[in-house]
Order: sequence, then structure tokens, then C-alpha cells
Amino acid sequence: MDTKRLVIFGVLFFILIVLVALFLNLGNEVMPQPTPLLPSDQREASQEPREYVTITLFFTSEDDGLLHREEREIIPESSQDALAKRIVEELFKGSRRGYLSSIPPETQLRELFVTKDGVAYVDFSRAITDKHLSGSSAEISTIYSVVNSLSYNLKSVKKVFILIDGGERKTLGGHIDLSQAFLPQYDIVAN
Amino acid sequence: MSSDAGSIPAASRISLGDREKLFRYKRGIPRFAPVFLFLILCLSFWGFSQNQSTVSVSAKDYPDYSRVIIASSSPLSTSIEKSESFLFVKIRANTPFRFRRESFQSRFVKSLEWSQGRGFYTLTIATQDDKFFFDSFKVSNPPQLIIDIHRNGKGEEIERTAETTDKVLTERSVEPQDAEARPERISSSSQDPECIVIDPGHGGLEAGAKGKFGTLEKDLTLAISMRLAEIIRRRRASNIVLTRDRDVDVTLEDRAAIANNNKATIFISVHVNSSYRKGAAGPETFFLSNDATDEEARRLAFLENNSENLDNSIESDNQDVIKMILWDMAQTAYLKQSSELAESIQTELNLLWGTTNRGIKQAPFKVLTGVACPAVLIEVAFLSNPQEERKLLTDEYQVKVAEAIYRGMTNFLRENSRL
Repeated sequence: MDTKRLVIFGVLFFILIVLVALFLNLGNEVMPQPTPLLPSDQREASQEPREYVTITLFFTSEDDGLLHREEREIIPESSQDALAKRIVEELFKGSRRGYLSSIPPETQLRELFVTKDGVAYVDFSRAITDKHLSGSSAEISTIYSVVNSLSYNLKSVKKVFILIDGGERKTLGGHIDLSQAFLPQYDIVAN
Repeated sequence: MSSDAGSIPAASRISLGDREKLFRYKRGIPRFAPVFLFLILCLSFWGFSQNQSTVSVSAKDYPDYSRVIIASSSPLSTSIEKSESFLFVKIRANTPFRFRRESFQSRFVKSLEWSQGRGFYTLTIATQDDKFFFDSFKVSNPPQLIIDIHRNGKGEEIERTAETTDKVLTERSVEPQDAEARPERISSSSQDPECIVIDPGHGGLEAGAKGKFGTLEKDLTLAISMRLAEIIRRRRASNIVLTRDRDVDVTLEDRAAIANNNKATIFISVHVNSSYRKGAAGPETFFLSNDATDEEARRLAFLENNSENLDNSIESDNQDVIKMILWDMAQTAYLKQSSELAESIQTELNLLWGTTNRGIKQAPFKVLTGVACPAVLIEVAFLSNPQEERKLLTDEYQVKVAEAIYRGMTNFLRENSRL
């Protein structure tokens, strides 16, 4: 009788150990965030508010016409939407490494929010179309510097929808379709 | 004989008798050999006599150029050289040719002379003076080499060009009447006549890009498109539809709808590029990028499954509306062909501008999304680049660009003759 009980306890104990081990193992896989540059982990932000986070912006290069990465340190923002806004505002400021800015300087960011299904709605003032150069290459530069910058830094952003003066527009200058959300394009980015 | 041949695998397994049969069969071959040889010889002689090509040459003047056509019964391998007022057309030949000189009505072309070298023939085209540039292209059915000689540098000539483009204006989407002016139809497809839709970008209030010297994209796209239409009209038996032939606004949706309503074989949108980069230069050819999500893919599947029945099952009044809805994503079904068309045109534009590194590109262009046929958007050069702007303002370059697009387009259509 006793030995039988011991055996049962033994087996239960063994199962318990296996379960705990499995649990810890799974936890280990989840724990390290693969993209450490993301400041989206807000706990970290609130605990150490003085630490900078690195964001990556995309600007057009005069040399090859491709988008180039430019990293920049910023103070962490309190929320995802605030960070998204910050990224676009950093784009407005232009490159510090001499890359070209493809957003007309008069442009203002009116609103920006990210929906639950991962679409970032970016609402620009109408200067972005009125003052735009209106050429395919120029439009592609403008759109994908915004789209790539947002989706590269914010994991939750899958697509970007561009609004102008709060409404939907067909194009910036007669070329690229604004009536659908954009997926990021990394083949126009320099390695 | 066939039963003997059938016994071969069995022979490796078994009886001596069978092997002997096989042996006899093998020994039998030499006896037939002379007969076979004789037959082969006869056939090859017959083939040779059939193969002897006739080459005929003709010349004719048109309002703004002279055309020399070299026609042959078999494909020609040729090269052309210009030297002062002469053009030398070298034709490689393994078998002797028979020559024929057909109609010759040209004031600019003075003479056409044949001469023979070792393994090649030369056609010497003598012209009035050396002030001309030429372009050539081949058509395959029947094999023809067509050389167009454009006289340049005269005000009179520019006026004439303007005259002929005006003609296109009034002949929108109409079969050309001057049948004689065209070579024979190239595409062998039969049922639906080939329809090429050319879309001059922008127009009206929408001026598009602006150049340093004040050139507007909408004006250049119209000028190049008109020239392209004129070239196609002269050389192909196809319907040509321009989405605009004047300086007017046409919505991007309407441009796609014009293509679809005319059952376009291909759709070519002509644009001039502009960039924030000062050094941006050279041509680019785009086709639609495939950002299709699951939702759009499902709509596409619906489109593919239903488009054939649509024509029959829906009353004509409603048809247009429903088709417009389906056309919203229509281009998705033609992406592969569109990429081939883009490749083909870009190759020719690279040759023209001497650019090599640029490939074809993809982007979500509004005007392409709804087009239900192979469709490309060509940025012929950069208006933001003053040097290219200056070139694009010349008649010579407008013609050259149009010619390059025409060649690229023709190459694609030849490869896809079932379209």
C-alpha cells in the first residue's frame, strides 16, 4: 500500500517538475524581445524615464535615390500613438546626415492614431499635396519614408493609411494611390 | 519491324532463337541504308530549293520620313551603318538570295544598290544629304526589315510633323484609312482587333511635374503620346485609343475605364518623372505593386471566376457599373504580363538613354489598379533634371522616345501573340 502511494506521489511529482520546466522554458522564449530598439515596452519607459531610445528614420539619398536609415535617440514617449507622432515629427525635421527630406516643409501633422488591427492613420495638412513636387519618384520617396519609418519602429503597425486634411485623397500629385493602406517596402531601402 | 523492335528487351532475358532474330534485325540495317540516304538527299535538295530566299526592297516617302522596306521569305540577320549620306545594310547569308527591287518612289532616297561580299550582301541606300537620322525595326510575318529615315533640322519638317499629329487628334480610336501606308499586320491573332490604349499623364488643371524652364509634364506626355500613336498607326493594324487628346482633365478611374471599355490589349501610361534628387536621371518603367491583402485576394478570386459570365448574364445598362466595381482590382490578374511589358519597354529606353542600372519598378499607381490588361506606367525621363528637360523639348527626342516605346511594345506583343 505504502509503496504504491510512494509510486503515485513520485509520478505526480515528476509530472509537476516536467510542467514547471516546460513553463519556464516557454517563458524563456518569450522574454527577450527580438527588437530591442522598440520603446513600445512601456513599463521600461516608466521605470527609467531618463534613458533614451533609438528610433530609425528613412530618408532619400541624393546618391542612389534609395531610402537610407538614420538612427536617432529620443526620450521615450508615454504611449504608442505619441511615439508614432514623434517619429513623423522627427521626419519633418529632416536628416542630420545630409539625406533629402521629401516632405514639403510647410506640412503639418494634424493627427495620428493606430487602430487595433494595426493600421496607422496619418493625417497631414494639405501642404503635403499642394507644395509637393508631383513626380512618381518624389511621391514614392515621401510616402515610403513615412510608411517605412512608422512600421519599422512600431511592431504593431502593419499598414499605414495617409489622410489629408482629415479626408481621403486619391493621390499626392496624380500618381501613387492613397485610397488604400500602404505596406512597408524594404526593397527601396539601401543595405 | 516494330514487332522486332518490341522484342528487344525480352531478348536480353531469353532464348537463343530470339537473339538470332534480333541479330538478323541489326544486320538488316545496312541493306536499307542506301535507300535512306537517297531519300534524305532528295529531301534536302527539295528543302534547299524551297529555302532559297527572295529578297525584295522598296522605298517610299511619307510626310515626315522616308521608309525602306527589305522583305524576305526567310528571317534576315542584318546590321545597319550610317556613313555621311549613305546607309549600308549588311545582310548575312549562307545561301544565295534572289533579289527584286519593287516600288521605288522617293525623293530623299536617291538609289538602292545591291552588292555581294563573302557570306553577306550589302544594300547601299544613297540619300540626298547627310542630315538625317534613322531607326529600324523588324517584323516577323512575313520577315521584314523596315528602315525609317527621318530628315532633321528643318522648320518645314517640324511643321509637317505637327500636321500629322493633328491628324491623330481627329482620328481618335478609328481604323487608319490609309491602308497603303502601313506594312502588313504583324500580330497573327484574329478574333478581336488589337487595341492599344495610350494614356498621356495628367492634363487640364492637373499639370503634373514642372521643369526648371517651365515645361509642364502634361504637355510633354501629350506630345510623346501623340507621336507614339502616330507611329503605331503607321505600322500596325491596331485600334489606337488615347485617354485624352487635348489639354483636359480626365480622372484616373476614367482612364482605366476607357482601356477596359475598349477591350485594350495593352495599356501604356506616359509620364515624366520628378524627384527631390538633383541628380535623378534616366527612364523608369513601373507596373503595379502587389500589396494585395487576403481580402483583396478573395475579391480577385471572385473576379477571375465571374468575369467570363459577366458579359452574358448582366443587362448592358448595369454592366458598366458592376464592371467598374470589379475593375477596382482588375490589374492584379495581369501582373506577370505587365512586368514583361515593362521589362521590354525599359530595355529599349535604356538603349536610347544609355542607361543600364535601372530595372523595372513596382509601385501602387492609382491609374493602373483598375486596368484589366497588361499595363505599365513609363517615366520617360526626369523633368526635375534640366538637361533631360531640354532634351525632351526637342522633336528629335520626343520621336526617339516614342520609337523606343513602340519597339518595346512590339517586342512584347510578338512574344505574347495570343493576346
